[in-house]
Amino acid sequence: MITLNAVTKLYNEGRPNEFAALQEIDLTLARGAMSVLRGPSGSGKTTLLSILACMARPTSGRVSIDGELVSGLPERFLTELRRTTFGFVFQRFNLVRGLTALENVMLPTVPLGADYGQTRDKAMARLEALGLADKAAMPIEHLSGGEAQRTAIARALINDPPILIADEPTANLDTALAEKFLAILAEERAAGRTVILTSHDPRIWEAEGVDRIVTLRDGRIVEGELAEGVLGEDVA
Amino acid sequence: MMTWARRQRALADYTLAALSRRKGKNIALVAIFSLVVFALSSAMFFAAALRHETTVVLRDAPEIVVQKLIMGRQDLIPGDVVETIAGFRGVTSAKGRLWGYYYDRINGANYTVMVPDDPALIPPVGYVAVGEGVPRARGLAWEGAPLFLSRYEGDLKRFDVDRTFSRDSALMTADLVLMNPQDFRAFFDIPEGLYTDVVATVRNQNEVATIVTKASNASPQMRFVTRADIERTYQKLFDWREGLLVVLAGAGLLAFAIFAAEKASGLSAEEAREIGILKAVGWDTRDVIAMKMWEGGLVSLGAFLIGTVAGFAHVFLFDGVLFAPVLRGWAVIYPDFALAPHIDGVQLMTLALLTVVPYMAATVVPVWRTASGDPDAVMR
Repeated sequence: MITLNAVTKLYNEGRPNEFAALQEIDLTLARGAMSVLRGPSGSGKTTLLSILACMARPTSGRVSIDGELVSGLPERFLTELRRTTFGFVFQRFNLVRGLTALENVMLPTVPLGADYGQTRDKAMARLEALGLADKAAMPIEHLSGGEAQRTAIARALINDPPILIADEPTANLDTALAEKFLAILAEERAAGRTVILTSHDPRIWEAEGVDRIVTLRDGRIVEGELAEGVLGEDVA
Repeated sequence: MMTWARRQRALADYTLAALSRRKGKNIALVAIFSLVVFALSSAMFFAAALRHETTVVLRDAPEIVVQKLIMGRQDLIPGDVVETIAGFRGVTSAKGRLWGYYYDRINGANYTVMVPDDPALIPPVGYVAVGEGVPRARGLAWEGAPLFLSRYEGDLKRFDVDRTFSRDSALMTADLVLMNPQDFRAFFDIPEGLYTDVVATVRNQNEVATIVTKASNASPQMRFVTRADIERTYQKLFDWREGLLVVLAGAGLLAFAIFAAEKASGLSAEEAREIGILKAVGWDTRDVIAMKMWEGGLVSLGAFLIGTVAGFAHVFLFDGVLFAPVLRGWAVIYPDFALAPHIDGVQLMTLALLTVVPYMAATVVPVWRTASGDPDAVMR
């Protein structure tokens, strides 16, 4: 369970262009559920996702994972959390140019000192499961949008994180690829993984398997509702 | 330990992949870096090798050289001065020497002609022993070839080359022509009983200055030159010339420093974004720094190795062809000579401190500053 209490995030703090991306957010997201954060551009979805994934610290407020306060942890502990707890799929995928798809998938394992052969096999298995086995040796610049996104998913899952986070995952995909992606997410959720997404794509909100939708506007939660007909109660 | 080693190997693998991604940029970087190291190492090796040569040459030189001065210029010294010098307390031996220079009009070379102190080295009458530069300058074969030298009167005198010197110290032996005293006097027209100068050895090295003071007072018309004086002269000569070269090499170093400072001032947006991605996928700040240290280490040590080896080859295999006109004096330009290879750890450490350390710092500091931030902030 991830819990946020009165989380505020300011950018350019103390400067004339100070900007509050999030204001006094209280939110609890359950393990094993698929939650969607929605809202217009600039509503704070990506910032909230970054804080949930320990990639940014709140200016004030508390973030806890399974009851343990993480917002005040030193950087090395946050790194460990990012490595073991979260898999993140960025809106623009954030793959490292020049590396092959396989090398990108293996990237999170580099500092672990794991056996190269085993890691390689694991990464290949991930790519294979996502239909990218034949693209493994290809530099990511040569991949299509959908292939790049699946590579990013494979990278996010390489360390078997219990929580998968995706930022606007269908923003750069056509309908067919978006549906394919949603199917992958549904599989991951069915496998017991917690899934947290941001999206302003109605296909996502209405997708099968979505347990909770949280609506943001101007950095505040304006609505936290159940996905219709999915679960009888709010999983949080 | 195994995990640490595997981790380092994985980071090194990633670094190699990262370097190969920016192949053109990194090759250009290594080339410029190598050039700077080459210029500096050449200057240092050359100057140090010359100093080493000087030390080797002067190691067996006499402690005191006595010259006769007339009107401030050196003149031939009478043989009875040898007895006078030998009579000073503390002097163990004194000998008259015959030596001078011969300008070879055929190739513009300047030879040092002398009668050796060691009787075993004195060639037979009609023969000469020569440094390796003399036959080379004349385009002659080695032993057994005739060497024709022109006397002051203009007539040619034939000598046969008895032997040539090995290269223990090419600086001082390359232009050397050793003669029998009888040939020397006949060739330069020097009467019996006169010498070029007198050399003296002393019992206690620490007493050289005292002996010279006493001898100078007793014989004010003589000039006393000690081995330390000669060493100092060489040292200053090479220091001055090395200084010229260091100024030249310094310009390159300055350009490199500007480049390093520019690099240290911050990372490009692409580099910062990549660091943000690495941190986002679970790399620690230390992992990123370790990776960049691998990168900086590979570039700087590679360039250091290339530059140093090229500098070594330039100085010791190609006779420092680019810097020789600055570092060698007019007196030793001809005939050509090769320096005996000589480098030491201090030189290499100094070179590394001037090149590798600033580059590593310029690489790691901005990365550390960037990588210390949250991944989200770094990527933004």
